[in-house]
Amino acid sequence: MWLAALLMVVGAAAAAEPAESPIELRRGTVTTTVGGVTHTAPAELSYHWDRQHAGRPGFADFELPFTLEAEPEAAWGIFIPRAGNVLEVRLNEALLQAYGDLARGNGPDYAKAPIYVPVPGHLLKAGDNRLQIRIRADSARRAGLSRVTIGPATPVRTELFESAYAWRFTGSVLLTAFSLVVGGIALALWLTQVDAGAVGGQRREGIYFWAALAEFCWALRVADGVIAEPPLPWGAWGVLMAGCYAGWAASAMMFCYHLAEWDGAPRMRWLRWPVAAVVAGTIAASSMALYREEPYWLTGWLALEIVFVALFVGAFAVATVRQPNVGRLLVAAAALVTLGFGTRDWLVIRLSDAYGETTWVRYSSVFFGIALLLIVLRRFRAASIEARGWVATLAERVAQRERELASTFAALEQVARDQARTHERERILRDMHDGVGSHISSAIRQLQSGQASSDELLRTLRDSLDKLKLSIDSIHLPPGDVGALLAALRYRLEPRLAAAGIELQWAVDEVPAVKRLDAQGMRQLQFLLFEAISNVLQHAHARTLRIEAETVAGAVQLRVIDDGRGFDASHVPRALSERAATVGTQLGLESRPGRTVVQLGFG
Amino acid sequence: MLRPMNIEALDAGTTRRWGVLVVEDDSRARSFFEASVQRSPRLFWLGSAGTVQEALNWLAQTATIPDVLLVDLGMPDGSGLDVIREAVARFPGCEPLVISVFGDEENVLSSIEAGAVGYIHKDAAPEDIAQTIVEMKAGASPISPMIARRVLAKYRSLQLAGAPAATPEAAVDSTAPSLLSSREHEVLTLIARGFSYAEIARLKGLSVHTVQTHIKNLYGKLAVHSKSEAVFEATRLGLLSHPG
Repeated sequence: MWLAALLMVVGAAAAAEPAESPIELRRGTVTTTVGGVTHTAPAELSYHWDRQHAGRPGFADFELPFTLEAEPEAAWGIFIPRAGNVLEVRLNEALLQAYGDLARGNGPDYAKAPIYVPVPGHLLKAGDNRLQIRIRADSARRAGLSRVTIGPATPVRTELFESAYAWRFTGSVLLTAFSLVVGGIALALWLTQVDAGAVGGQRREGIYFWAALAEFCWALRVADGVIAEPPLPWGAWGVLMAGCYAGWAASAMMFCYHLAEWDGAPRMRWLRWPVAAVVAGTIAASSMALYREEPYWLTGWLALEIVFVALFVGAFAVATVRQPNVGRLLVAAAALVTLGFGTRDWLVIRLSDAYGETTWVRYSSVFFGIALLLIVLRRFRAASIEARGWVATLAERVAQRERELASTFAALEQVARDQARTHERERILRDMHDGVGSHISSAIRQLQSGQASSDELLRTLRDSLDKLKLSIDSIHLPPGDVGALLAALRYRLEPRLAAAGIELQWAVDEVPAVKRLDAQGMRQLQFLLFEAISNVLQHAHARTLRIEAETVAGAVQLRVIDDGRGFDASHVPRALSERAATVGTQLGLESRPGRTVVQLGFG
Repeated sequence: MLRPMNIEALDAGTTRRWGVLVVEDDSRARSFFEASVQRSPRLFWLGSAGTVQEALNWLAQTATIPDVLLVDLGMPDGSGLDVIREAVARFPGCEPLVISVFGDEENVLSSIEAGAVGYIHKDAAPEDIAQTIVEMKAGASPISPMIARRVLAKYRSLQLAGAPAATPEAAVDSTAPSLLSSREHEVLTLIARGFSYAEIARLKGLSVHTVQTHIKNLYGKLAVHSKSEAVFEATRLGLLSHPG
């Protein structure tokens, strides 16, 4: 409501008569007090204290007269672009505003932001008016008074003051925020991107660290622009700010140093020392300048510093031209611009009488920050792409190894198959040799001798065929299944027993599998039993043959029993003993006329 | 004097003579079988074929239904199994016997599945050949312990396959439980352990004839079963590769 009313008043005033234009106050008198000596002189604004008094602290009282044709009806205000360090503003002897305490030096600094002081309407009068501004100046703190504008709130406040404020204050806030963000990203990358592959522990990327340090230094330095009341007294604060400025420059140079890969070049490694000296020298020089109240120490040192930075930037530019890439070109361009701005700032701020100027570097540093951010992000992207590449390579290697294993396995399997075939072939050959082959050759011998009866010949050939059938049966016998083996044997041999008039008694219990009988063992057991039964058929003149199988205390026992004429059991037939040894069974023989027992035990 | 085991009592109730066709590529074997058949008063000789094609032609043109077919599996122009299938399909009363040198499981089982009802050994004596045929016509069916074992193994695998999949689409699985009756199972188990038909009859209190009937029924079931099983080739392959 109040604001609306004010606007209405202003609007009415503007409508009532032609707008009164603002008055810029440039001249007056100044009464200064430095080291107890007071001196009054005409003054031309802007008044740059440090230039006038060589950096020594003191007080200045400005009297700025101006004349109004009539008492203004609209609201007026005073716009002071820069004044400080602390000040009081009076109009026609009335205190309008105090910024800080004039009794205390080296504290707050109100010169950092533009000031607008509203003027109560009744204070201004037609005719002569007098604006008084009293300041207290600290050493080398850019104290002084710029030209002052007094006039109607519109446009003094809305145009002059607000745009100046935006540039100085809001600009500083945004720059600080930007630097903090870039620095935060770089710091996070530095903390998380650990190159664990390096020998001797972990190694971090130096480039991220220097980027972070540069941006944090710069953030603090720029933030100073909005801190009217620093937490430290001006001396320490001034050194800190100078240190931040130098820290930013040095960190940016170290960033370039890493970017140019000078850290890997022994010829360039010495550069780190002068870079460190930039910071140390700036701290020393600013301390000297502030405590001795002699600003030229710092001014001189900064000149040296600018020369060194110029050389460094030149070297970096040359290195960039030799091996250009987008990142280096960007940084080189930003560095050159910053160098130029830095030099200009040095000339304007440290040497010229210009007052109220702000540094340009604060803006060029944005380019630098952007370049830095781009490089940091590109590096990070390259690193992640490389990591993905490694993962892919690793997966490819694993797949390769798997393929190798598979082919090795296939080769081994092939070998195993070949070996199994070879064994099978050997077995068949052995069977043919021991069985069919030997039977056919003895049949041939029998025929050639002319002495064998056809019965004998027939028996030889039948033996041969029976053994062949047993061989075929054995292919399918489950290993260890003695019951199946006996059943097949009976099936094959019973016709011959029947033909020989021998009664077969079958006393075969169901017996458990004998684990140690493999395919070969089954073959040998088959032949062993065939041999025993064959003996009964040929020699025993038996009437009954009894086959027994049972389990005694977990052990399978097989018996072939006949009631034939018997034989001398102390002479074990070689065919039996050899096969029994191969099978690994305990062979028991007992024989007397009327009862012969061949026993096989699998304990 | 040599004859397959398990053929014991002979039921000579009928005096009908059985016509025999021989499919065999070896001419000496052919004349041996012809002599065996001619010598038997219960059999008469229908003729012989030396190739699969010849046999199929004969079956296509014959006016006389063959009662008995003797088939060698290894023919120059194919497998005797084709002849068995064709004969069984054309003449349901025809009973094929496989001529086998070894009576080995693979060949005998696949013949039974094709429709054969038994097998004779090539090295059997002439009179035994005739006797085996006549006994077969009288209801006997020879089966070796090895084959019995294989049939049991097949039965077990079908049961295992059928147990978890109680779904109607598995036609083979649904027939599996009915493949063997419990009596047939008992008989088959004893044969696999080497017992003769007579011993089994004694142990189980059955007649030898009943035991033989069980076996012959079993042959029929295996043949029928194998037909439905053709759809499930995998199962058949599983059976054939089964070590038991």
